Amino acid sequence: MSEASVGKPMLPVAGKPPAGPRVSDGSNIFLTTKLDRLIDQARKNSLWPFPFGTACCAIEFMSTIMSHYDMSRFGAEVVRFSPRQSDLLIVAGTVTDKMAPVMVRIWEQMAEPKYVISMGACACTGGFYRAYHVVQGIDEFIPVDVYVPGCPPTPEALLQGLLRLQEMIAAGETHYQRMVAAARAKAKGAVS
Amino acid sequence: MSMSQEKLESFRRAFPPSRGVEEIPGQDIPTFQVERELLPELARRLKDDPDFDFKMLSDVCGVDWPERQARFDVVYHLYSLTHNHRLRLKVPVSEQDAVVPSVYGVWRAADWFEREVFDMFGVRFSGHPNLKRILCHPSFQGHALRKDYDPGQRWLLREGEQDEPSWAREVQEDEDHFETQVLNLGPSHPATHGTLRTVVRLDGEVITRAECEIGYLHRCFEKMSERHTWNQIIPYTDRLNYCSAMMNGVGYALAVEKLLGVEAPPRAQVIRVILSELSRIMDHIVCIGANLNDVGAMTPFLYVYQAREEIYSLLEACAGGRLTISYVRVGGLANDVPEGFEEAVRYLLRRIPPLVDDMERLITENRIFRQRTEGIGKLSAAEAVDWGWTGPCLRASGVPYDVRKTNPYLGYETYDFKVPIATTGDTYARYLVRVEEIRQSLKIVEQALKRLAPGPIITDNHHVALPPKEKVYTEMEALIWHFKLIMEGMKVPKGEVYGFTEGANGELGFYTISDGGGSPYRLHCRPPCFAVFQAYPHMLEGHMIADSIAILGSLNIIAGELDR
Amino acid sequence: MRNTDVVVCDPKPLRFWQRFYLVEVLKGLGVTLRHFLGNLFGRKYTVTVEWPEVKREYSDRLRGRHVLLTREDGSPRCVACYMCETACPADCIHIEAEEDPTSTVEWEKRPKVFNIDLLRCVFCGLCVDACPKEAIIMTRHHEMAFTGREEAVATIDTLLQKGPIDRIDLGYRPYYGRESRPITLPIPVRVEPAPKAPRPDLAATP
Repeated sequence: MSEASVGKPMLPVAGKPPAGPRVSDGSNIFLTTKLDRLIDQARKNSLWPFPFGTACCAIEFMSTIMSHYDMSRFGAEVVRFSPRQSDLLIVAGTVTDKMAPVMVRIWEQMAEPKYVISMGACACTGGFYRAYHVVQGIDEFIPVDVYVPGCPPTPEALLQGLLRLQEMIAAGETHYQRMVAAARAKAKGAVS
Repeated sequence: MSMSQEKLESFRRAFPPSRGVEEIPGQDIPTFQVERELLPELARRLKDDPDFDFKMLSDVCGVDWPERQARFDVVYHLYSLTHNHRLRLKVPVSEQDAVVPSVYGVWRAADWFEREVFDMFGVRFSGHPNLKRILCHPSFQGHALRKDYDPGQRWLLREGEQDEPSWAREVQEDEDHFETQVLNLGPSHPATHGTLRTVVRLDGEVITRAECEIGYLHRCFEKMSERHTWNQIIPYTDRLNYCSAMMNGVGYALAVEKLLGVEAPPRAQVIRVILSELSRIMDHIVCIGANLNDVGAMTPFLYVYQAREEIYSLLEACAGGRLTISYVRVGGLANDVPEGFEEAVRYLLRRIPPLVDDMERLITENRIFRQRTEGIGKLSAAEAVDWGWTGPCLRASGVPYDVRKTNPYLGYETYDFKVPIATTGDTYARYLVRVEEIRQSLKIVEQALKRLAPGPIITDNHHVALPPKEKVYTEMEALIWHFKLIMEGMKVPKGEVYGFTEGANGELGFYTISDGGGSPYRLHCRPPCFAVFQAYPHMLEGHMIADSIAILGSLNIIAGELDR
Repeated sequence: MRNTDVVVCDPKPLRFWQRFYLVEVLKGLGVTLRHFLGNLFGRKYTVTVEWPEVKREYSDRLRGRHVLLTREDGSPRCVACYMCETACPADCIHIEAEEDPTSTVEWEKRPKVFNIDLLRCVFCGLCVDACPKEAIIMTRHHEMAFTGREEAVATIDTLLQKGPIDRIDLGYRPYYGRESRPITLPIPVRVEPAPKAPRPDLAATP
């Protein structure tokens, strides 16, 4: 079968897929770098996930937060179903074209800083559903920080993805942090 | 299972070929091709005549034959609980005039099934109260299961184009000048398991009207299966009801085996029974646990989930995957179980009951829980049958229908187990039935374990099963068969079959049509959730908003199976 | 259906003491306390696997990342027959063949390109079943988060077996004439050796 042809009469995406997180221009940021690092440490160890669980991966996500794997050991146990209260979007499961606007809206509603883990083959690339109703990877719509392969990934794989994200936050490599850094550099350049 | 001869005779007398009813011989269940004008009368008679008594419409689906004059077949599968017989009706329609009278007035179960046929094939149903797309989104163009639809052709949905019930915009005021409110539950709601959406109209806290929208997890299983070989579909079936992946694979494999005329070896059958019943336990654990979690009791879920985790471990040892195991093959199983399997199952038999007991001690007699669930979401037996309910939900309404008893497969008739039923038909009864089913399943596993004798685990028919690896590496003939099976897929003889098993949620049917090729011509899955969930909006009316969550949890809607 | 096949499990009416909330609540509390104290002192109910320091003993058939086995001389066993590519339901394997210049036989093929998109892969194991040369098998390595989609495409260089076969953490592979590790329950765990590199923390970052 050929690559899913997202070709001919395709309609533009809901409200245009955003290129990255919206951030302030950076001119009002006055914190020193060391303090930023400290805040990143705090952030990485208290990620509040929003489980956007749609399919099989949601069951494995459930396993991850249950007592056997216990995600709270990594500071991420406060599973919030309100995008306003969470900073980590875990997309667990297939996202269909019908679901995509919902996902985009939830992502837009999340307060910054926000990170995205794409869990499982379907969310990452569409998996083996090269089909007429399945989004071929959620990065068509939102920026993804960590991709966790597997169908569904084992809880350990998800936890490793979480640790990877924590490392990225500490090193300032997430999409959000790079956007902030870029905005800051731009603001600095404008001042000098 | 099929109709007795005298019943068939009386059917033929009542509807002779002169009236446009033509019998199609040589099918797995009696099949008649019906002119669409006759359908309403025929349906009414089949339901009301005590001789036939087809009270349940188990499935409606469409089939596309592009080269035929009458391009589409609308296929109805009927079931009679009292006579335990089945009937298949086919109504052919042409593409230009693709209209069939709706049977919603006869069986309410037709509601969503007909909408699905409309969505997938573009066949309209005259007289249907709410005929619109159900699985695909409203901006979708064309009909996806038509043979000329490109499986990769996507259509994107814009924000604001989502479907809304026609009544959602109406604002009503009653005498007290309290505005009724329209509330959107889901699709991303903690209690809707991810992908179900219910729009409710509230009067205070009481739901006065509700409508469900599904399709948020429509992964095109049926279209995908037409593009893959028979064995490649096994991983797809795992993802239908992902809480009990094994049982979908078994159901699918049994349907194809029926078409092929092969049978899995005894050892494979026993292993299938053991793992299926353990999967049923897993499924019920998730259902009960999630239901309790939704109504506010978090602790029991944490306890019973340990059992699930250990069953996962067993499945991983057998198949290599925890959740989506792709362990079943047509004709048997992929691998033999590892050493220590019996001890591990015996350990589970010891391990699960105390955990279930703990849960029961926490919940069953708890007055708070009982008040939340008793009398909530009641459905009478007649209504449940009318809606096409099967499985634990139907049994909680007092109908002892269980495919394992009525149409045994895998030797279920030789196992000693009971079918739990309850008569109240409310949320609490569904909880009780599921708990009892866990115990009955354990009983089956215990008996099956005693029958586990050494032997082959897959049929040696080289037209069906891959030859053993050591032969592939050494023998030319085996290598050729291996090559042919991988490259072309097994050749399944031309024909059609409706294979049905008792899934965790009820009758899981696979209507399979083969044109003799390496992949199915049409594979339709009859998901038990689909029939159950279509009654949900009607059950909500008159209940409080908090009850809707309790009811939803007790129905055990698995989106993968619902939307496929 | 015979009536003997049916067990009616209707709700029992609440008994006198059950009408009081307190008794049942206390009973439930007893269950929770038993688990709590069992955890605290006896560790009888402790089920948490202290990942990543402690790991579950995975089954020998766990389907993780693929590995392409080599012959004794270090060349890939794969003969580019496209069987795995055909069997893959996700179409995540991409093979391009070339003639093997080192081959002593005429027309021996070998893979020039062998890519597996690990993010597409559904780890169903059908490629392993399809391989007629036991060239592609799976390891138990399944913890592999990526930060980009390009990074997730495993090429032949990364897929080829490195070192002797007994050094690979073998997972799902054909089981003819050899047994996999017996399964044991409760879930066995093993303590991992301490990771070599310390996790980056505040002090380590520049």
